[in-house]
Amino acid sequence: MACVYIPVQNSEEEVRVALDQLPRDATDILDILKAEQAPLDLWLIIAREYFKQGKIEQFRQILEEGSSPEIDEYYADVRYERIAILNALGAYYSYLGKIETKQREKEEHFILATQYYNKASRIDMHEPSTWIGKGQLLLAKGDVDQAFAAFKIVLDGDRDNIPALLGQACVEFNRGKYSSSLEMYKRVLQVYPGCPAAVRLGIGLCRYKLGQFDRAKQAFERVLQLDPENVEALVALGIMDLQSNEAYGIRGAMEKMRRAFDIYPYCATALNYLANHFFFTGQHFLVEQLTETALAATTHGSTRAHSYYNLARSYHSKGDYEKAGLYYMASVKEINKPQEFILPFYGLGQVQLKLGDFKSSLSNFEKVLEVYPENCETLKAVAHIYLQLNQTTKAHEALKKATRIDPRDPEAFLDLGELLIATDSGAALDAFKTARNLLKKANEEVSIELLNNIGVLHFERGEFELALQTFKEALGDGIWLKLMDTEPQSDSIGDPIRNTLYQPIDSSLAARKYKDMQLFHNLEKDGISVDLPWDKITTLSNLARLFEQLHKTETASLLYRLILFKFPEYVDAYLRLAAIAKSRNNVPLSIELIHDALQVDDKNPDALCMLGDLELKNDDWLKAKDTFRAAKDASNGKDSYATLCLGNWNYFAAVRSEKRAPKLEATHLEKAKELYTKVLIEHPANMYAANGAGVVLAEKGQFDIAKELFTQVQEAASGSVFVQMPDVWINLAHVHFAQGNFSLAIKMYQNCLRKFYYNTDSQILLYLARTHYEAEQWQDCKKTLLKAIHLAPSNYTLRFDTGVALQKFSASTLQKTKRTVDEVRATVAELKNAVRVFSLLSAASNLQFHGFDEKKIETHVGYCKHLLEAAKVHCDAAELEDQQNRHRLELARQAAIREEESRLAEEQKKVKLEKRKQEDELKKVMQQEQHLERIKEHWKSSGSKRKDRGQSGDEEGGQGERRRRKGSSKKRKRDKKTETHMDDQDEYDDDNANTNYYEPENQVNNQVNNDEDDPQDLLAAAGLEDSDADDDPGAPSAGRRIRGWSESEEDEPEKRPPNSSPVRDNSVDMQLSDGD
Amino acid sequence: MKLAWLRSLETAHQDCVWACTWLPPTDKSSGLLLTGSLDETVKLWNPEDLSLVRTNTGHCLGVVSVAAHPSGRIAASASLDSFIRVFDVESNNTIATLEAPPSEVWQMQFDPRGTTLAVAGGSSASVKLWDTAEWKLVSTLSIPRPEGAKPSDKGNSKKFVLSVAWSPSGRQLACGSMDGSISVFDVQRAKFLHQLEGHTMPVRSLAYSPLDPRVLVSGSDDECIHMYDAEGKTLFSSMSGHSSWVLSVDVSPDGAAIASGSSDRTVRLWDPKMRAAVQTMTNHTDQVWGVKFEAVGGGARGSLLASVSDDKSISLYNYS
Repeated sequence: MACVYIPVQNSEEEVRVALDQLPRDATDILDILKAEQAPLDLWLIIAREYFKQGKIEQFRQILEEGSSPEIDEYYADVRYERIAILNALGAYYSYLGKIETKQREKEEHFILATQYYNKASRIDMHEPSTWIGKGQLLLAKGDVDQAFAAFKIVLDGDRDNIPALLGQACVEFNRGKYSSSLEMYKRVLQVYPGCPAAVRLGIGLCRYKLGQFDRAKQAFERVLQLDPENVEALVALGIMDLQSNEAYGIRGAMEKMRRAFDIYPYCATALNYLANHFFFTGQHFLVEQLTETALAATTHGSTRAHSYYNLARSYHSKGDYEKAGLYYMASVKEINKPQEFILPFYGLGQVQLKLGDFKSSLSNFEKVLEVYPENCETLKAVAHIYLQLNQTTKAHEALKKATRIDPRDPEAFLDLGELLIATDSGAALDAFKTARNLLKKANEEVSIELLNNIGVLHFERGEFELALQTFKEALGDGIWLKLMDTEPQSDSIGDPIRNTLYQPIDSSLAARKYKDMQLFHNLEKDGISVDLPWDKITTLSNLARLFEQLHKTETASLLYRLILFKFPEYVDAYLRLAAIAKSRNNVPLSIELIHDALQVDDKNPDALCMLGDLELKNDDWLKAKDTFRAAKDASNGKDSYATLCLGNWNYFAAVRSEKRAPKLEATHLEKAKELYTKVLIEHPANMYAANGAGVVLAEKGQFDIAKELFTQVQEAASGSVFVQMPDVWINLAHVHFAQGNFSLAIKMYQNCLRKFYYNTDSQILLYLARTHYEAEQWQDCKKTLLKAIHLAPSNYTLRFDTGVALQKFSASTLQKTKRTVDEVRATVAELKNAVRVFSLLSAASNLQFHGFDEKKIETHVGYCKHLLEAAKVHCDAAELEDQQNRHRLELARQAAIREEESRLAEEQKKVKLEKRKQEDELKKVMQQEQHLERIKEHWKSSGSKRKDRGQSGDEEGGQGERRRRKGSSKKRKRDKKTETHMDDQDEYDDDNANTNYYEPENQVNNQVNNDEDDPQDLLAAAGLEDSDADDDPGAPSAGRRIRGWSESEEDEPEKRPPNSSPVRDNSVDMQLSDGD
Repeated sequence: MKLAWLRSLETAHQDCVWACTWLPPTDKSSGLLLTGSLDETVKLWNPEDLSLVRTNTGHCLGVVSVAAHPSGRIAASASLDSFIRVFDVESNNTIATLEAPPSEVWQMQFDPRGTTLAVAGGSSASVKLWDTAEWKLVSTLSIPRPEGAKPSDKGNSKKFVLSVAWSPSGRQLACGSMDGSISVFDVQRAKFLHQLEGHTMPVRSLAYSPLDPRVLVSGSDDECIHMYDAEGKTLFSSMSGHSSWVLSVDVSPDGAAIASGSSDRTVRLWDPKMRAAVQTMTNHTDQVWGVKFEAVGGGARGSLLASVSDDKSISLYNYS
């Protein structure tokens, strides 16, 4: 048992003090020490013993007593011991300061420590131990350079001074000079091989920092051999294990960390690593506890940064972005240079991105990029932000770089593809395909969204076969395959699905089959499960749309119905079915389907617009207007399609107004113009609005500007399968016609017919015939009209027009001064035909089925008889022609005169009789007159004042903002997958849908007929006997016929909602409700 | 089941070719192809080399329809001026000129025994039946007005009759209308039987299966081909695929295939069992107004199919 002996003053005796039996009250011992004037080294020994026993208070009491002024006085010549006592106190307070976490107390401790050391220095300023103490103190305060100076003083005196060496090694380590630090530690070991384990710890750390991991590991293991409870060594080894990146290593590492934690629960590093571990195992509660402890336990900047980072990450992964952001911020604040610890910057960037603070987010990601310029994840995030900030070029650059750096990252290609969709569908497709191939190579699942996108792009580019394959691949196996597979199948006879599918249906129900769900009920009854996972709806719907495009309408309707069978809330499917029904002229069913859609969502602007259009078709003008208004309101006026519909409505209203009211007409036109302009301001590339604007211009007689506008729209409209704009061709042709440029007009009409209508549109044929008529190409005119009759057999107006054309031809031939016998014979033949046509019309009028007034027809019959007589005369004349040319000429003239007179008489009568039935026509005629006037004025004064708008409206027409990218903020990689697909065609169709118009069928009017009834003709004819007066209403009136919309657009997608994500959400909901 | 293109003749007519039919072989001649065109002529062709046998003139305005008598000796052609010209094939002598004002003339067909010519009567909403012995109008099969229609309503204009077809037995007759409905009549009793619905646009062409008198095939502007059970009033199947109006349909002599001609410029061959087009011929460059199988199949070598188009050409295919 260790003892000290305090010599008793003035005697040989000693007081024996057993060190393990020191009195609890230090005063007892102090009394003895003071009374016996014991040597100071005994004081120190006893104090140290108290310290060792953890009796800090006693330790301090003795040392403080031992450094009191009276002691100084009494022991003035005992210098070394006094210094030792002061140094011990200094070291004690240094330690206190070092471990104290509260800043104020910490500083107080340091101040005390400094005072003691300074006092010691005053006793002997060369005492090395004081300098070492000071060095330690400075190190604790983080004042590395001064600490270096302090230790250097000692080492200059004694280069093997172990404490100084250790201190200096520590200084060098902190300065990052690991090799010189290592040298110091080594020297310590040489000088004092039995030194404590901690020295080897230093060696290990140096080697670790120098990258000599194996030797570092040896060192740490040696430390643990010497001191199995050395926390630092455990932690260090643990970290190294972690870095081995093997499951085994990681397990070992966690084991070591846990041991370190058990030994000393306040080691911040161990806590951080443990927290890190629990973060990955998902035990967030532990993460928070551990990191909070770690934060409480350390002031070391980068350790705290780690702790905050762990905490932030934990909140981040729990979705508490606000808190996560705060902690990331705290973490970032602890970091001096981003190079030291970049992760929190990345995390902060992510959270800010999530919270929509793009600017700050961008600056944080850029910091990451400064350190790691080639980090793909960061590049992708940056690209995403640029996209949000509408800096597509920069976004493109970043993504390009990302794909270049890692050409095997499907994510980057996916993002690139999405970015390019708006601008370059070809490049987008390539990117998507690359992504798909990469995923396939990696044996990863190719998401249905990606395949859907590829399919849609193929679809858009008109590569239908590829689109079909891709959609099928995306959908995989399911009931839909049976429904759509129209390919011959060998086992089709025995297949129950086929059998159900091929069930004959009652023909009276056939027209309603687009609403038929019985089929699926039957299938279910037969025990065949009709399943459709919600995530496949979009693709299935796209596929159905593709079948529509391929004219496999039956299959398309089956697929749409399948969707509705499982998800009756999927509005688009109703609308598509309605569109199919509409294109088949099944208006009642179409309306019914739209009402079904409106029952799901009574504010769906697409449905409302379509309904309005159908109401127009039914000639329900006021209703249509209300519906369009509702559509506009439902979309807060943001749906340009609804606005356009209203514009069109106004235009039609202007053109067809029931009562002739020029004021009303002007108001409607003005309103139409206003609405078109509004759309153009919002979407400068909206071709339909530009077309509408052109129509209004043409209506006002500004043909040149209108023509320019139409030409640009026409150019812009070529390119996508989704943009079909025959109207603009027709309008352009109308303008050519109005300007008297007949041959161009004819070409344009013919091209339009061929390109868009498979030559089946009798209305355009009528325009064409009218142009031939004006160009006096009688045979072409007749043939064109006959073709039109063949296409539209029940349209009697066409027959009437044919009669007029034949008669006009005859009349004009007969008026010629020189003509051949053949010409006259042909003329007579055509006259006979005309007679035949008119008399057939007359006969048919008994049946009242063509809507002409009975009396009008009778007058025509009378007129025809006159014609017939005239024709007979001509016949005779033709016979005489060879011998009596002059005579025949005279006869012919007379005949012509007579014919004119009789016709005039007939017509005047007819005009009166007709008034009731033919009011429309009449109105048009009068409007034309006014137009003529107005247009004439325009000819005079029309400047180019509207030109600017015309151009601006059209310049970007080509590409359009047809697709808007729907942002879903980009999170980390794994979240993103589910969020940032542009998941269906909707987005493309979105604006297409917005820009559809329809022409009401009833717009058809008998243009050629107008000539016949034109009062202007009568006047002209009355004044001049020249029957050519008929031609007068010609050019300007054509503006009247310009039409702005087309039926062909009807099957264009008035479909899907603009946003894809709501679709998905809905679907989820639906599924849930289905589950119930 | 397939079509093999044999030969085509460009500019067979001066203008659009709107109608075609096969004349059955007689003891004097083999089967001939009869075509009618907007150029106001009717032409007879030798199918072997598509050489012109004769050009008949005399029609005004376009020729919309041609019909062949089962004997092969008599044929009829009709034009937009609503005249029907019945002529002797060999001599081209006019046998009769028929008109039934105010009824127009659209499709026509002789009944299988050759005693009656049925004519689709357009706006009269009826089919006119002409006796082929006397060339007299013997019957008018009218489509009944829909119930609830007021007498003052303008005619039966939606029932405008465009197409007509005899059942192989000659007992039934079907006609197709502008509104997409098909009316079926019992000829002997001159009685309207029922309507087949399903089309929503004009039905321009009808054909019965030569083997199964119940099966009626129709083509419509709604781009669909329907197969009906004409007696059971049920729709067997609806086949889509044409991208424009279906202008003409015909059933192959073996009853196993359907041919169709469309505004989409194609001729397609359909397998009714699969409900799908098995072949698409794209040799025409404009609307295909007529497709017609030669009624008498040539056994193993198959039978001929003719198609005529707005592109002024005629094409022949071998169906096997």
